[in-house]
Amino acid sequence: MKRMMQLTMVLAIALMATIATGASAAEDATELMKKSHLAYYYAGDDGLAEVDMRIVDKKGKERIRNFTMLRLDNEQGGDQKYYTYFKKPSDVARMTFMVHKNSEGNDLRWIYVPAVDLVKPISADDKNSSFVGSDFSYEDVSGRHWSEDTHTIVGDSTWDGAAVYIVESKPKEEYDGFAVKRSYINKESLLPHKELYFDEDGELIKIMTAEEIKEVDGIATIVHRTMEDVDKERVTHVIFSDIEYNVGIENDLFTERFLKNPPMQYIR
Amino acid sequence: MKTSRIYIALFAVVLLLTSSVQGEVMIDGFLQGLYGGRVDKANPTIGEQTASESRLQLRVQHWGDNGNFFGRLDFLYDGVTDSYDWELREAYFRFRLGNNLDFKVGRQILTWGTGDLIFINDVFAKDYQSFFIGRDDQYLKAPQNAIRGAWYNPVGELSVVWSPRFEGNRLPQGVRLSYYSPLDQAIVGSSRYIAPVEPDADFKNSELATRLQRRISNFATALYFYRGFYKNPVGFDMSLGAPIYPRLHVYGASTRGPIAGGILWIEGGYLDSRDDPDGDEPMIPNSSVSTLVGFERQVVQNLTINLQWQTDMMMDYETYEQQAGAQGGYVRDEIRHLLTTRWTKLLNSELVTLSAFVFYSPTDEDVYAKLSAEYKYTDQITLAAGANLFEGSYVETEFGQFQFNDNVWAKMTYGFF
Repeated sequence: MKRMMQLTMVLAIALMATIATGASAAEDATELMKKSHLAYYYAGDDGLAEVDMRIVDKKGKERIRNFTMLRLDNEQGGDQKYYTYFKKPSDVARMTFMVHKNSEGNDLRWIYVPAVDLVKPISADDKNSSFVGSDFSYEDVSGRHWSEDTHTIVGDSTWDGAAVYIVESKPKEEYDGFAVKRSYINKESLLPHKELYFDEDGELIKIMTAEEIKEVDGIATIVHRTMEDVDKERVTHVIFSDIEYNVGIENDLFTERFLKNPPMQYIR
Repeated sequence: MKTSRIYIALFAVVLLLTSSVQGEVMIDGFLQGLYGGRVDKANPTIGEQTASESRLQLRVQHWGDNGNFFGRLDFLYDGVTDSYDWELREAYFRFRLGNNLDFKVGRQILTWGTGDLIFINDVFAKDYQSFFIGRDDQYLKAPQNAIRGAWYNPVGELSVVWSPRFEGNRLPQGVRLSYYSPLDQAIVGSSRYIAPVEPDADFKNSELATRLQRRISNFATALYFYRGFYKNPVGFDMSLGAPIYPRLHVYGASTRGPIAGGILWIEGGYLDSRDDPDGDEPMIPNSSVSTLVGFERQVVQNLTINLQWQTDMMMDYETYEQQAGAQGGYVRDEIRHLLTTRWTKLLNSELVTLSAFVFYSPTDEDVYAKLSAEYKYTDQITLAAGANLFEGSYVETEFGQFQFNDNVWAKMTYGFF
């Protein structure tokens, strides 16, 4: 109930703010979310990292996913390519996974299962489905495009001593992932410190927290983030290490050839 | 068998050599117990067990500057035959020459084509016995000793796979699973098994498989050619008194890509029966044209469904019909239709997987259903159970011959690093 009240208040403030400042505020908010999106998901022209994912359920039972992730931006804020090489656990070791993120239309996804030498395209119209059984959806991993939501700056605050904007985002078209998202965006780095996801009833469903932000090659990077599923009382930690930007990853790498022959020069 | 021994020796040598440069070498694998039994009392097999095995799989990977080595070795205690066994599933060296040539040399698993458990242009060795008794999916593919080269050129990717020695499919031999014996004109157990005779180990009997693949828009489109033998012993040599693998060429094409929120695939091939060009050899299969169309999509969150329709049209059918009719045996339809569907449901944050795969042929009047449930108890431990169910109006058809082999199984796997 308290949450509902809070949300109603926030929405009321948001509404007033929109009326008061008119269209320009909405444009500012959209511009801010665009910049934030680019800082968060399009850092550098390409990037690679070792990822340690830990899924902790409410009983404290932990499951791990270790993988190397490569990313190439074909266009800032537009098409992107992702390549994932799984290391652990043992049943997924050496599997590879590739996404061609398409700003217009559906993404393309492929998986390669080396034990049967099988390349398999995966139907990818559901961006809200879980990424490897974690609390992150595919869209949480590669980013939901800012133009799919309307954004409103609903206030200012501080987070760990840093100045932040509070932004509310609502999907333009009905979306399973959330009805309202409230983000706390660092005014300087433009990275989110926290994202709260609410459903249509105003219930908090998911919480993303940037646990640690570090400069890597001069680029502010969230090196440890968590996603909490409030209902399931489950948390997924994603910890990045060996991060590198602008390594010169080539477009050819994101093809079936390399899906079957992992580029070992990038894998630790 | 001899070549396998040499590979094992090589495997051991590499293992020893690489152990001195730890860090670039990775060893992992699993321990697994699989137990299954038939549920049909009428089965002419000797025992009631279809599987009773403890398996240790070791995988070794070495990444070097010039290429990488991968080995996969299985050790097995088989309770059905009360014997110990091992098999080198894979042992290959993979390297690159220049920018556009990739090679994979050694014992390996090979797959291509678009079908889901339906193979037209994939004429690589399969293990249907493993497939029918609940072993992991990876055991459907049998290893082949081969050299695989891929040339990436402006037209596309040209792959050539050369296997010096023919490798046939592994099929039920009557011990775990009964099968139809044309000689007996009945479903039989192991006492009636006659081992097929493989082609001689001559260079002229080596297998060649090629594929030219190119992405057209978002569709991976390919042309195929295979020169070798039928992978099943579908011929019979009267002088040898044994089944044989007749010569086969396959010419085919396929395309696969995203459409309507799902994935569509289309494949076709002409199976050219080289030892029976006119279709008048009663002991050798006639040539045929095989086509396949399939579509898969996620219908609701965590439920993926696919449908496939395959047809197989026999050439020179009239000749076949007369011959088969004269013998008084089963006469198949000119066009054989096969419909399949796979349902995969993920539950409990993808820890539980429920799967059903059903093959149904309206022309052969037979059905094969493969059901399984799997639970990832921890990252290391996976529990699974399932069933293989067969039904058929005739004993001679592809699945009808296995109608006494209905079986259930349970499996536990411990994966390690």
